[in-house]
Amino acid sequence: MKIDIDVLGAGICAPGLPDWEALLDILAGKGLNEDRKPPRSALLSPRERRRAPAAVKLSFAAAEQACAMAELAPADPVAVFSSGMGDLQITDYMCRTLAEQPDLLSPTRFHNSVHNAASGYWSIGSGATGDVTAVSGWKDSAAAGLLEALSRIQYEPTTILLVIYDDVACGPMRDLWPAEYPFGAALVLARPGQRSAMARLEARIDGGEDHHPEMPEVLEARIMDNPAARILPLLGQISGRLPGPVTIGSEQGPGLQFREREK
Amino acid sequence: MTLSCAAGRGLSAVRQALSERRSGLRANDFPGCELDTWIGRVDGVEDIRFDPGLAEYDCRNNRLAMIGLEHDDFTTAAAELVKRHGRERVACVIGTSTAGIGTTEAAYRDLGEAEHFDPAYLLPRVHTPHTSAAFVARVLGLGGPVITISTACSSSAKVFATAARLIDSGLADAAVVGGVDSLCLSVLYGFHSLELVSDQPCRPFDRARRGLSLGEAAGFAIVEKSPRQSLGRLMGWGESSDAHHMASPHPEGAGAGAAMAGALERAGLQPGAIGYINCHGTATPLNDRVEAMAIRSIFPDPPPAASTKGWTGHTLGAAGIAEAVFSLLALNDGELPAGLNLEAPESEWADFILLEPLQRRIDAVLSNSFGFGGSNCALIFGREGA
Repeated sequence: MKIDIDVLGAGICAPGLPDWEALLDILAGKGLNEDRKPPRSALLSPRERRRAPAAVKLSFAAAEQACAMAELAPADPVAVFSSGMGDLQITDYMCRTLAEQPDLLSPTRFHNSVHNAASGYWSIGSGATGDVTAVSGWKDSAAAGLLEALSRIQYEPTTILLVIYDDVACGPMRDLWPAEYPFGAALVLARPGQRSAMARLEARIDGGEDHHPEMPEVLEARIMDNPAARILPLLGQISGRLPGPVTIGSEQGPGLQFREREK
Repeated sequence: MTLSCAAGRGLSAVRQALSERRSGLRANDFPGCELDTWIGRVDGVEDIRFDPGLAEYDCRNNRLAMIGLEHDDFTTAAAELVKRHGRERVACVIGTSTAGIGTTEAAYRDLGEAEHFDPAYLLPRVHTPHTSAAFVARVLGLGGPVITISTACSSSAKVFATAARLIDSGLADAAVVGGVDSLCLSVLYGFHSLELVSDQPCRPFDRARRGLSLGEAAGFAIVEKSPRQSLGRLMGWGESSDAHHMASPHPEGAGAGAAMAGALERAGLQPGAIGYINCHGTATPLNDRVEAMAIRSIFPDPPPAASTKGWTGHTLGAAGIAEAVFSLLALNDGELPAGLNLEAPESEWADFILLEPLQRRIDAVLSNSFGFGGSNCALIFGREGA
C-alpha cells in the first residue's frame, strides 16, 4: 500500500519559527528567529484579529502561509484541522467559570469552545463552503491529520489543506499538557502531477514509532515539548534540507513513513 | 450496530420506545445544574466501574461508551471483525464534542488554592477530545487508524465518510465507527447562555417549539466493504461548510442543502429515490425553519421526514450516529417515526413533516447532521441489493 502525494505549499507558526524562511534558516544551521513576527492574517480584520481565539491565530498563521505558497485561494481546498487539545485557553475559561459562576458563562466563548472553532472560523474567514473538518489524536494528532488527509487524496482528486496545531495550556491544565511553546504547521497536499510541487513524496504504513534523521537541537527540543511539532521532520524533508525517510508514528494505530518519490 | 440513549440502552429498548412513542426526556436532574429544562440522560452511567487497567480512561463519556459497547453483541461483532481482517487493518473513527470535559469541570470545582488538579484528576487520557476514540480502540483491541472527528453536532455523521475513505484508500480494511457525547455543565449552561434551550421537552417542527433539549448517547456501527450481513449500504455522503457564523445556520440553509445535494450526487440518486429523511430537527425556532427550507431547495417534492430528538434530546457529538441508527432501523423495519410532541406544524413544512408514524418499505434514507462552525453532513443509506 502506497499513497503518492505532491506538496504544493507549507507554513509554520511557533515562537522563533514565525514562517517557512525561519525554518529553512534553522535547518541551514542558524538559530531561532526571535525578532520576526508571524505574518499578519489577511483573512481576519484588525478587529477580528484582536478578538480571535488563540487556536484561530495559531492555525491561521500557518494555514495562510501554506495557501500563499501554493498560490491557492484559501477558500478552495478541503481543509483538515488536527489538534490534540484544541483551544486550551477557552477550556480554562469554561471550566473556571462553570466552577465559580456558571450563569455568567459567555455565549461567545461557549460556541468558540468547540474543537472545530478554528476550522469553523477558517470557513467563515476564507469563504470556504466545501468540507472543513476537525480531527484529534491527542499526542498523535500529526498522524491522525495525515491519515485523514491522505485517505481523502487517495479517495478522489482533491487538494487538501492540512493544519496541525497545539497551544500551551494555562492554569492547572499545565500539569496534563506541559508544552512550553505553541506550535502550528500547515501543508497543501494533492495527487501527483497536478501542479508545480515543492516536494514529491510517497507514504506507506509503517510500524508505529517516530523515526527521522537527526535535526538541529532546537527543533528536536520542540518535538519533545509539543506533540504537534512531531510534524517537523516531515517539514524538513519537504524543504529538501533533511534527507528521508521520515516516519510519524502513533501509539495505537499505524505510523506513516514518507520517502521522496523517484522522479 | 448499537445505540444507547435516553430512550433506551440497546436496540431492542430503543425499538420499543420508538413503537410506544415514549420519550426518554426527563425534568433536569443533572447533578450541579439548576436549570429549568428537560434532558435526555442515560440511566446507570454513574454505576459503571472500570477494571484497574482502564482506570486512566474513567470519565462519564467513556462510561457511556462502555454501556454502548455492551449491547447488541457489539464487542463480539468487533472481535469477529478483528479476526477476519487482523487488528492492524481495523480502523476506529469516533465522533464526539464533549469528550471528557465533564471530568475537567469537576477537577476545576475541586481545585485547591494551589492551582493544581487533585491527583485523582491527573488523567491525561481523559482531558483530551481524543479520549473516547482511544478508549474504544483500546477496549476492542483495534490497531488500525484511530481518529477522533470533532466538528460539534456533525461529528459522528462524518465518521462514516472518514471510514469509507480509509477503507477505499487501502489504509484499513474495515472500521468501527461511532459517537459518544455525555451531559456536562459546559453544554447545559453553554446552550442556555445562547438561549437555545427549551424549558419543556423539545418539540421539533412544531409551531410552539421553543428550543432544544440536551441529551447524551453512545452508538457504534461496523463499516466493511463486503460484510457477511448488512443492515444497509452507505450509498453517499455530503460534507459542506456554511462560511457564515459559528452558532447560527446560513439563513437560506445553503450549506445544509449542499450537503444533501452532495450525498445524492455521490449516491447517484435522484431526490425522488429517498424514501424518508431523518432531520437534524433540534427544535430551535431558526434551525428547523432553515432545515425545512434547505430540504425543499433540494427536494421539489420532499419525502416524509421527521426529527427523532424528542426521544433522545440533542445528543450533539453523538447525534450523527444516533440518527444513522434511527435511519437504518427505518430502512430495515419499514417503520418511519413521526416526531414526538409535534401537534401543529408550520404551514411551510406541513406537507412533508410526519404527524403520524408511517409503515412503508423504503429503499433509501437520508440523515442530516448540522453543527456549530457551520459544519454540515448528510448521509444516505440504501437497502442492500436495492
